[in-house]
Amino acid sequence: MESVSTNAEIRLTVAQSFRTLTSSTDCKDIIATLQALVSYLDDGAESKTTSAEREEFRRAHYSRTLQFLVSNIQADWLWSLSAAHRAELWDNWFLKGPPDQALLVLMDAITELRPSTSLDHLVGITEKFLQSGRLAELLWSYCVQSASSDSPQLRETLLGRISALPDIMANKLHPDIRPCFLPQQYYPLLASEMLAALERTCHALRDGTDCSLSFVAQTLGKVCIQGHSGSVLALMAPRLCVCTRSDMLWRRVCWKLLESVPQRWMESVLTGLVQAVRGPDTLGRIIGNLVLTNKKAQFVMTHKLLLLQYKYETPALRTVLGYLAADRDRRPLLIQAIRSLSQAWANPSAIRHTPLEQQLYVSKALLLSVSLLKDSELQELRSELLQCMLGGMQSHLDSSVPRVRKMGMVVGECLSSRMDFKGAALKFEYEPDEETRELLSLITPDTCDEPEPEPGNGRDSPESVSQTSTSPQNVTSQSQPGGTGPGSDLDSDDDFTPYDMSADQETGRASPPRYLRDCLETLTSSEDAERVELSLRAAESLVRTNVFAAREISVQMTKVLLHMEDKYRISGFLRLRQTTMVALAVTACIPVTQYLTTEFYSLNYSLRQRLDILEVLALAAQELSAPISDKNVSSSGGRTSAELSLHQSDDPAHWRQVVEKRIQSKTKRISKGATQPAAQPTPNRYAPVAGYFFFPLLRNYDKPQVTFDLLGSDHLVLGRLIHTLGLLMHLAVNAPIAAQMGRALLDFVWAVRYHADQMVRRGVLFAVCSVFLSMPSQSLLVDLSDQLFETRTWLADVAEGDPDEDCRSLAVQSLVLLDKSLKKQLEDQQALSLES
Amino acid sequence: MSRPAPNPIYTLRGAGGALNTLHFRCNGQDSPLLFSGSENGAVHIWNLNSRRPVKVVEAHTGSSVIWVSTLQSTGSLLSQGRDLQVCLWDLRDGGCELLDSVWTGSVGFCQCSLLETSSTNHLLAFAGQQTEEIKIIELPSKNPVCTLIPEAKLGMVMCIKLWKPESGVGPLLLAGYEDGSLLLWDVTQRSVLSQVKAHPEPVMCLTFDPKRLRGISGSSEKKLSSWMLDSQNNIQLQDSVVLVNPGVSQICIREDGRLLASAGWDHRVRIFGWKKLRPLAVLQYHTDMVLSVAFSDHLDPRQTLLAAGSKDQRISLWSIYNEGSDTG
Repeated sequence: MESVSTNAEIRLTVAQSFRTLTSSTDCKDIIATLQALVSYLDDGAESKTTSAEREEFRRAHYSRTLQFLVSNIQADWLWSLSAAHRAELWDNWFLKGPPDQALLVLMDAITELRPSTSLDHLVGITEKFLQSGRLAELLWSYCVQSASSDSPQLRETLLGRISALPDIMANKLHPDIRPCFLPQQYYPLLASEMLAALERTCHALRDGTDCSLSFVAQTLGKVCIQGHSGSVLALMAPRLCVCTRSDMLWRRVCWKLLESVPQRWMESVLTGLVQAVRGPDTLGRIIGNLVLTNKKAQFVMTHKLLLLQYKYETPALRTVLGYLAADRDRRPLLIQAIRSLSQAWANPSAIRHTPLEQQLYVSKALLLSVSLLKDSELQELRSELLQCMLGGMQSHLDSSVPRVRKMGMVVGECLSSRMDFKGAALKFEYEPDEETRELLSLITPDTCDEPEPEPGNGRDSPESVSQTSTSPQNVTSQSQPGGTGPGSDLDSDDDFTPYDMSADQETGRASPPRYLRDCLETLTSSEDAERVELSLRAAESLVRTNVFAAREISVQMTKVLLHMEDKYRISGFLRLRQTTMVALAVTACIPVTQYLTTEFYSLNYSLRQRLDILEVLALAAQELSAPISDKNVSSSGGRTSAELSLHQSDDPAHWRQVVEKRIQSKTKRISKGATQPAAQPTPNRYAPVAGYFFFPLLRNYDKPQVTFDLLGSDHLVLGRLIHTLGLLMHLAVNAPIAAQMGRALLDFVWAVRYHADQMVRRGVLFAVCSVFLSMPSQSLLVDLSDQLFETRTWLADVAEGDPDEDCRSLAVQSLVLLDKSLKKQLEDQQALSLES
Repeated sequence: MSRPAPNPIYTLRGAGGALNTLHFRCNGQDSPLLFSGSENGAVHIWNLNSRRPVKVVEAHTGSSVIWVSTLQSTGSLLSQGRDLQVCLWDLRDGGCELLDSVWTGSVGFCQCSLLETSSTNHLLAFAGQQTEEIKIIELPSKNPVCTLIPEAKLGMVMCIKLWKPESGVGPLLLAGYEDGSLLLWDVTQRSVLSQVKAHPEPVMCLTFDPKRLRGISGSSEKKLSSWMLDSQNNIQLQDSVVLVNPGVSQICIREDGRLLASAGWDHRVRIFGWKKLRPLAVLQYHTDMVLSVAFSDHLDPRQTLLAAGSKDQRISLWSIYNEGSDTG
């Protein structure tokens, strides 16, 4: 009964005050009224109001009062107050009362107001609000009060305001935003306020008070889902790590906090946390056995982070798996994760259709998790792992992408060595590179402990700096005594340092052939390894120097070389054979290309030979299309020119150079550009014969033979064929035949554009690129108008959805080229029509 | 990492035939000269400053020149050819006048050996008409001093080296024979002091360091044999050096006794430290057998050059392990 009367009394007072404030013009009156109202907020002992009154005012009238004040912000009386009075009687209203209501009113007012002095004033108050730690107060107030005291809608709004405060401010203020409202400052502030709230919770729990962490957890989740998990958790994780190290209560608080994060935000909190903590132990302390109680967390940790989201760095992966392995209760989850990882790794369809980066990520995860297994567990999983390894190895080695093969080899090696087949570990020969080294390093368990920063201990400690700065001195001082050593005993042999004598090899008995026909004869019939090698080494220069002889026997010699096998293990055999064949194809272009292109589709060749044919054709075309340089001249006379240069210093014959130099040094030049000689125009030797290279290769591709099925299993050759065709097309730029070639090539690749093998797809896209590059834009529009639309759609499709990154970027490139070409053509046409 | 193999500092071309022999004369006031004897019978005199031939002496009318040398005292040129003659040429005043000639009678390839006993008197040793015969005559009087014929059948004389020991006794002569034997002759006593079978194959070349009483010989096989004279003038075989490819045409020790160079049939010149026979460098430039090597006799050791003459008709000049300019 009493409370009802109090409530009515307060309502009356407030209403009266409002009236006074609206109508009165007397400054003193207004001050008195405001002071009376302020007294409801004062907690001090000398306060004139009772606590029940204060409580009631805070509950029912505080917001109203604030709203009233804000709506009267333009009132005359406000501006007639002195600055001190204004701060005390007006600004304090927002900083003293319940912070949630204050924040809501402030945010609402700021969104509604136009840019004005009043807005500036409110922004200033908000800044003070943030700086005076009212956010922590706000969070803490929700920790202690029971959840049912306010409506979910209000909570939701408040959460939205807290998490989006930088956005709201930026929307209103854009360029003049104050630094404390920038996300870079605000979110760390929020993080430290949350930490403060947690700390107070801990104290309260020690004192036996019940607290609820749901609002803090919601705030954390909301902020994380909005993409600020990095900046928030970067501040919170180290602190939590330190606090949870020894304090069990802190751990309980953290676990509770994580448990209270709503399901829909759990993922972003967990992923952020995994990246922010350093090492699995810390993660274990902070989130406890969350994965066992929370289905969502389990799904994220054992499935999403390991198999689907492949963007994380290796340390994060290490943290997740280490966390799963660290506790006895969680170990079944590790086993489960290994099962799914090994299945994902061995899945042939995944190898074909998932991006390379994801495969690498899964490989890393698999290696890491296997390295964490105990021997007993390994025994249990052994048969499963073995099966997966065998299948996975096969599908990896089948891939046409070298990186996939290499990844498969490394993982296979590591798995087999870990499983220990009694000394029968797999061993592959591959060139070690950054990636393989990283993979190999994963299988050895990470022994070094997590480097946890001690509180107050800066990360760049002065000791390490001083160590690094002194170390060079040590090195020099050590090396100095050695420097004076030699030279003391002048009379001994030993002061002569030997030159490099590795070139001192045994000389062969036979001499290289001097005639091309001898060379051919030796290559065809000789059984003498030395003579064959000499002939092969001499062959290219013989072909290039004896053009006429080479033309006569070009096809015969090409045939011999194509069928030649490396019987004698000649070093550089493949290169020698290839360069000779290229020389032949360049010298006697038409017959050799006819021969090679026919042989490409005939029976009884190995894949290697067919690939050789393609390579030779591509290289020959490349050489033909390059402008004739003086490379040959200089390479044959390299020795003489070197000798000449030795004499140049005192040779009077070079006076011309001297004079020229002198003239140049005396002449002042405004621009340097003109001194370079213009490129000598030379005929393109490739343009007239491009058709001979190109069109025969397009025949017969769809006629499978017993030994050669281009559209079937031999997709390796298909990929190379298309790539070569693209190259031939690219080299034919500016040739009259380019339009025809482009048309034919587009027709050809159309059939295989959705090939399952990524090498083939890459080849196709490369070919398309080169078509757009080399075809004149005019004929592109005229000849291909019916196909262009479809091609564009297909390219856009690939650019968006292809699992291979190269394919995607190639598709984008093709699109750009196409657009550029079309635009140019349309502009030209417009210009033409304007002129006419 | 060892230094890359050196390159010649320059080459001399235009001799028109295989270079059988090389001889430097760089210690005078005149510009340094290099004499080369070639297969086509010409002796080229190269000026090493201009790097061009100063003069070409058609010494042996088309017969291969196998040895050239100069007399320190008069500056006269000695040349030996396959026409069985040793000729003495006066080069003074830019002329080229045949002073004298000696008929040797040897159809072999054995190069002469010259020993200047005094400023006017010289001893010249050469292979004689008979198979194992070595003749020694006095120049310029052409008086025969002695004829040395071993008792055993040793085959042709392949190479000889005449020198006078510092102990003051009469001149001694080292000779290599076709069966691989190495003989030390006392010229005044006309007796064999020591005999050793140094190689299974003919001794192709030998050289001797009178200061250290050490010598080395090469053959058509894959090794160089070094040997030493003890106090009783016995030849003691010492360690040998194994080469990569067989066949050595000529070997030569640098004046300062620190370097040894060998001309190989495998187109390469090999450099060794003379003391321990440590391989130091392999000089690759020529495209055919290297027939001759010579170190120059510059007064300033830093200018010392190494010349190599080859069957490919070129002479390459190298500056290697010269103090100051090129210390190892």
